[in-house]
Amino acid sequence: MGMHGDFFQLLKEQGYQLGTPVAAIAGVEIPTATTILAFKYRDGVLVAGDRRATAGNMVMYDRTDKVLEIDRHSVMAIAGVPATAYEMVRILEHSFKYYRRTQLQELSFEGKLRAVSKLLKENVAAALSGTGAVAPIFAGYDCEQETAKIYFYDILGAEFEGVEYAVSGSGSPTIRGILHYLNTWEEQPLNALPEEPALVQALRLLTSAAEFDSATGGVNREANLYPIIKLITTGGVGAVPEATLKSLFEAKVVRHV
Amino acid sequence: MYEEPYKWVEAIDNRRQYLDDQFKQGSPVVALAYDTGILLLSVSKSTSKFYEIYDRLALGGMGHPADLEKLRVNLLEMAHVEGFNRSPSDVTGSRMVKYGIAPVIKQAFEEVFKAPFIVKLLLAELGHKAGKDSFLVVNYDGTFEEGTSCTVLAASKTVEQEMIASICGKVSAVLSLEQAFDLALRTWALGDRLQHKTVEEPSGESSSGQPEDTEATSLSAYLRDRVAEKTIECVLLDRNRSDSSKYRALPSDEIGRLLPKDLTPLIL
Repeated sequence: MGMHGDFFQLLKEQGYQLGTPVAAIAGVEIPTATTILAFKYRDGVLVAGDRRATAGNMVMYDRTDKVLEIDRHSVMAIAGVPATAYEMVRILEHSFKYYRRTQLQELSFEGKLRAVSKLLKENVAAALSGTGAVAPIFAGYDCEQETAKIYFYDILGAEFEGVEYAVSGSGSPTIRGILHYLNTWEEQPLNALPEEPALVQALRLLTSAAEFDSATGGVNREANLYPIIKLITTGGVGAVPEATLKSLFEAKVVRHV
Repeated sequence: MYEEPYKWVEAIDNRRQYLDDQFKQGSPVVALAYDTGILLLSVSKSTSKFYEIYDRLALGGMGHPADLEKLRVNLLEMAHVEGFNRSPSDVTGSRMVKYGIAPVIKQAFEEVFKAPFIVKLLLAELGHKAGKDSFLVVNYDGTFEEGTSCTVLAASKTVEQEMIASICGKVSAVLSLEQAFDLALRTWALGDRLQHKTVEEPSGESSSGQPEDTEATSLSAYLRDRVAEKTIECVLLDRNRSDSSKYRALPSDEIGRLLPKDLTPLIL
């Protein structure tokens, strides 16, 4: 099967199993919760996520990276159980590389989407048992169609295209309405925004989510803690430097908080 | 037939002769370190000689394409499963060769009832810092050698030694990409010429006794003749690449820019 370039199949042949269903034990809090978002802007797709991981009422970690680069052209933002989500990201990262190296060509964007869906379906039992639910956003540059695209998934692996934007995580209901408002009635729709205004909107959206959702981490200027934002353009994936986010936050976000 | 020890030794000897013959028409491969990475170069008519194995590992080969393909897939499977189960830092050329393909190649070579792998392999591993690179060469019988700044593959040990002698001392961590490319191309030409001399005049002397400028001119002339109908293939493991995969195949226009001036009009 290795000749077909399917890394996940290769892992399974070696006895690997993703998402073993284990019933959640009462009283044991599993880390979850998040706000992740992606929207199309003038130059491609912006993907952003807060930094907080929680278990029930407890903040487990405030420096989580939920916007993970899978390869030069794609990013997965994760919402749900981090243990499973990070495992999926590792599998995808290896799968895309393995395909490219064995088949001597890049996996198509459609193929990448299918790979994400397959992993989520493989994980259904764990998701339903309450120990492994993941609802990610997958965004990337489709080199064949020469355009950046956004897809979001439910925990069962159903795939939906976010034509203009997509959100996931516990803070997402708050910002979904804002995104709709901005995209419909602002002077410029989201997909016409240049890079800097797009970054400002992303910072404002995540700050709004943190305002209403205790499981979403806001900006912590004292700790120099800003969201993770990645941009996908024709040139590939690029992370926005912390210094840029800091100056934009101070100039365009902080006075409104 | 092979139950008697001397018969088995005889069979192995025959197999060695057979394999040596198979490589006589092969194209040499050169790998060397330069200031920001490792450069691998060969010249061939059709099939590719270089492949990406893992984030910091590149494979070069001589021999039968089907055998090379089989071992390439073995390496890819090993490297990716290991990188996933442990970490990318644990996928080293040394482990891949010593515990991975070298025993497989040796076993195939010594099982005289089965076909051996008609292949010689070169695995280059980019270190995290200059001077920490690693080069491994695996022969068709499973024996392997390690180096730290350069290595070559050629039809015979004698040719390989001549090629190494010609670049030994010239390879350093301060070579630019242009200088490394030039050196690799001329080393390839030296090896290819020696191989052809050996085929045409088995007792012919090497040209290393010639004065250096005469030798350089004659190598340039040889390159012009030999490369005209072939393709220069060059790949890099580039420490400056920002993503985790450091492998990059040079496109033909970039190779054109790197070509020494005395070869530019004719090649490409």
